[in-house]
Amino acid sequence: MPLISNLDVWVNIALIKQYHENLSADKAQELVIRYLTGYGMEHISNKRNPALTNRERFCAMLLRAAMVRDSIVVIDRPFTIIPDVQDDRFIYDSLKAVDDSFKECHIFDYLWSKDRYRMIGL
Amino acid sequence: MINAIVRIGTTTINVTRTFRDTLSFAFTIILKMFNKNSYNSATRLVIIHQIYFTSIQILPLFIGISIIFGTLLMGIVFQIIKNLGLAEHLGRILMNLVVTELAPFVTVLLIALRSSSAINAEIAVMKVNKELNTLDKFNIGTVDYLFLPRVINGVISVVLLSAFFSILVLTSGLLFSKLLFGLSLESYSNVLLSSANFYDIVISLIKCCAFGFFITLIPIRFGLHATNDLTSIPISVLNGMVDVFIAIVFIEVLSLILIFI
Repeated sequence: MPLISNLDVWVNIALIKQYHENLSADKAQELVIRYLTGYGMEHISNKRNPALTNRERFCAMLLRAAMVRDSIVVIDRPFTIIPDVQDDRFIYDSLKAVDDSFKECHIFDYLWSKDRYRMIGL
Repeated sequence: MINAIVRIGTTTINVTRTFRDTLSFAFTIILKMFNKNSYNSATRLVIIHQIYFTSIQILPLFIGISIIFGTLLMGIVFQIIKNLGLAEHLGRILMNLVVTELAPFVTVLLIALRSSSAINAEIAVMKVNKELNTLDKFNIGTVDYLFLPRVINGVISVVLLSAFFSILVLTSGLLFSKLLFGLSLESYSNVLLSSANFYDIVISLIKCCAFGFFITLIPIRFGLHATNDLTSIPISVLNGMVDVFIAIVFIEVLSLILIFI
C-alpha cells in the first residue's frame, strides 16, 4: 500500500500508533526513529515518499505495517518494490530487524521468482 | 422546446442532488465534530498543522492586504461620510461595513483561493494515488483523520483572521477619524463600542463559521469525486472552486437577509 505522499516518513509510520493507541507525537516519533536507526536509515525520517530510494521505501512500508498491534504482514511481490535487489537477503534482514513487532509475515510472489528466495526459504 | 425543458429538468435534478449530498456530508462532519472519539493524538496534530498552514503562513500577506486595502477603503469611507454629513452614524456604518460584511468576505476569499484549492487538489491526488485506500486498510478513518481537522481548521481560521482583519482596518480608521473629524483615540473607541450591536456580531460570527465550514467541506467533497485518472484532478479542483464561490455568495446573501429583516 503506498505511503501517504504529503507526510514525512516518520509521520507515515507513527500514524498507526498515534491513531490506534493515542500515543503522543513525541513518543511515536521516538519509537519510529529507534526502528529506523536499526535499519541505519534515521536520515529518511523527515523525507517524503518521492525522495526515497526503493530500499528506503520498502523499509518504511514494512515498518508501518509492523506498527499495527499483532499484525500479520503481507508482502506482495517484494521484488517489484525493490527491483534493484537480486535475492532475498535484504528482505530477510529487514524482516529480522523488526521481527518483534509483528505476529506473522506472508510473502506472495510468482513461481518463477522462487530461486531468489534462498534465505527465507519456501 | 421539449429538449430545453428536459435540460432544465436534468439540471435542476443534478443541482438538487449535489445540494442534498453536500448537506448530508456536512451533517456527517458535524456529528463527528461533536463526538469526542473522533479526536486522538494523530487528529490533533493534523489540526495544529492545518491551522499553521492556513492562518499563520498567510499572516504576512494578510496583514499587508488588510493594512493597504483597509487604509485606502477607510479613507474613502470617511471622506464620503463627511461629505454626506453622516458623522453621527460613523460608528454604525463602520461596524456594519467592516466587521459584519467586509472582514468575513475578504478573509474567506483569500482563504478560499489559497487553502480550498490546495485541499481540493490534495484530496484528489490522494484519491488517484489510492492513498485513501491505504488509510482505509490500516483502519484509519478518513473522516476523522483527513476531513474533520481540515473543516475545523477552516472554521477557526476564518473566524480568527476575520476578527484580525476587523481590528487592523478599524485601527487604520483611527488615522482618518483624527484627520477628518478630529476624534481622539478615546472618542473613536467609544463611537465604535457604542455602535456594536450584539445581534450583528452574532450574525457575523455565524457567517464566519459557515464560510469556514463550507469552503473546506466542498473542496473535500469534490476531491473525492476524482477518478483513477490524473486528468480528473484539475477537473475536480475546477468544479470544487466554482461550487465554493457559489457557496460564498449563497451564505453572504443569506446573512444579508438575516441582518436586514
